[in-house]
Amino acid sequence: MPKIMPVETSGSRRGRGRRVASSLAEINVIPLVDVMLVLLIIFMVTAPMLQRGMEVNLPTSRRTTQLSEERIFVTVPLSYQQNGIVQIGDEPIRVQVLEERMRQAMLTKTEKEVFLRSDGRVLVQEMIDVMGHLKAAGVEKVGIVAKLPGER
Amino acid sequence: MTAHRLLPTALIAMASVSVLAWQQPPPTPPASQTQPPRQPAEIELSIMGEPGAPPRYAVPDFIALGTDEQTRGAAKSIAQVLWDDLAFEREFYMIPRDTYASIPAAKSPETVPFERWRELGADGLIIGTVRKVNDTFQVQAWLYNVKMQKSVFGKEYTGGTRNERIFAHTISDEIHMQQRALQGVARSKLAFASDRDRESVTGTVQKRDVKEIYISDYDGANQQRATAQRRLNLTPAWSPDGRAIAYTAYRNESPDIAVSFIYKAAAPTWPARGKGHNFVPAWSPDGTKLAFWSNRDGNPEIYVMSADGSNARRLTHHRASDVSPAWSPSGNQIAFVSDRTGSPQIYLMDADGSAVRQITHESWADRPTWSPAPYNEIAYTSRTGPGYDIAIYDVATGQRRHITFGEGSNESPSFAANGRHLAFMSTRLGKSHIFTIGRDGKGLKQITKVGNNFMPNWSR
Repeated sequence: MPKIMPVETSGSRRGRGRRVASSLAEINVIPLVDVMLVLLIIFMVTAPMLQRGMEVNLPTSRRTTQLSEERIFVTVPLSYQQNGIVQIGDEPIRVQVLEERMRQAMLTKTEKEVFLRSDGRVLVQEMIDVMGHLKAAGVEKVGIVAKLPGER
Repeated sequence: MTAHRLLPTALIAMASVSVLAWQQPPPTPPASQTQPPRQPAEIELSIMGEPGAPPRYAVPDFIALGTDEQTRGAAKSIAQVLWDDLAFEREFYMIPRDTYASIPAAKSPETVPFERWRELGADGLIIGTVRKVNDTFQVQAWLYNVKMQKSVFGKEYTGGTRNERIFAHTISDEIHMQQRALQGVARSKLAFASDRDRESVTGTVQKRDVKEIYISDYDGANQQRATAQRRLNLTPAWSPDGRAIAYTAYRNESPDIAVSFIYKAAAPTWPARGKGHNFVPAWSPDGTKLAFWSNRDGNPEIYVMSADGSNARRLTHHRASDVSPAWSPSGNQIAFVSDRTGSPQIYLMDADGSAVRQITHESWADRPTWSPAPYNEIAYTSRTGPGYDIAIYDVATGQRRHITFGEGSNESPSFAANGRHLAFMSTRLGKSHIFTIGRDGKGLKQITKVGNNFMPNWSR
């Protein structure tokens, strides 16, 4: 304000006209925004509460099975053809002990499923052999992992 | 020009030498120096499995230090029996022995391929050696923690070559004690009555088969006859020290209580001295007294006497029959069967005959047997339909559960010394045979295969 004052030259007439026009054209939205913001906050706070259903206190038990089970990946690399070594997770093991290791792994699992990651150039026969070991160990579902064309 | 060519080669050579030096593993102490002759370490190490799963054990064939057939056979059978013993208590996951084939057998305890055992998933590995010295076997056994490649248990045993199974049983019991603080039952024995030899009773006109007392290892091996009297011998009961068996013997058609010291060549003693008809002896837990039932005062009542027959005392006073006594593990109480309500039911009383109370209310309950600590349970024979089943009554809570479910008739339960297993007789395979089963009703195992077999009793 104090800066504008000295620039103004033509006196009170122009200033008065502008004041009249502004009072007619603009609605004072500040209270409206205030109310709307308060309402918005109220709904933001209450919305998550509305979604909550009945509260359940789960019973405690000394032995439970993990709900989100860790998936087991068995990898058949291309080198399997030479050395007969597959991987459970990151651990390389000989295929001779695969069956027993899977049996041990299945003991604590409710979902007896294993994902088989096999190199694309491994022979189908070799992959079937590995799957045979998995089935013999009590694995019920074997998923074969593939990738989409563009995926790396 | 030659210098120009040689320089890179030299550099590469130097680099590779330095890489090689870098890759030298840090010096590890050779396993052979410390481990084999060591007795159980000062620091007890127990082998843990993955969280939520029992530790996994492997028991490959023991190493035969000698080439003769007997040593090699013992090395194999000790490992097999040890595997069975450890599997029996279900404390460990025992890796099946047929999966060991791909792992090279160790020639000595120093050359165990731990990496290969770890690959198979083993947490604990039992390695043993067998050496024959004159007429004895020297057996050494170590339990290794596979991850740390350290021995956590190691012992040497010497014994006769006649029964190599006892080596395995001893090792199993000691490993259970050291690793799980569990009293194993691998060295305990079973006694039972059987008619397998099909001899007829002497001195009678009827062609009736004798029943004699037989004993066997807990797993059914080494079954042998303990009495040879050509009579009816029934209801064997091991004395707590395992040296004597008390049983009901029909002497001149009159049942009486006999005590045979089975490892001595001596005639049985007759502590009840033929007063009336006496049946079903039961040793008190301290081995000093025998409870039994007798009709010497007119109708069947429970009596207690010292093991030598002195101080016989009547405990029950009721018009109905009071039979089949069984001591509590503390010796303070006696369970027995009475038909005072019309049908046989189980009752408890204090060891002096006071405070009688009824604990079963069903159509028929017979042959109680009290579990040793830590379980305070009474197993008995319960009628369920046409046959009988084994029921277990929890003394503290009064809860009752069954462990057999109408497969044949199941009778005469007897607890193992650690309370985790029962022996009983069952007709589920036609003839009457002895079986063992876990107290949870799992792990059924057939003990006898020939003849009819009755009334097992498991030694302490």
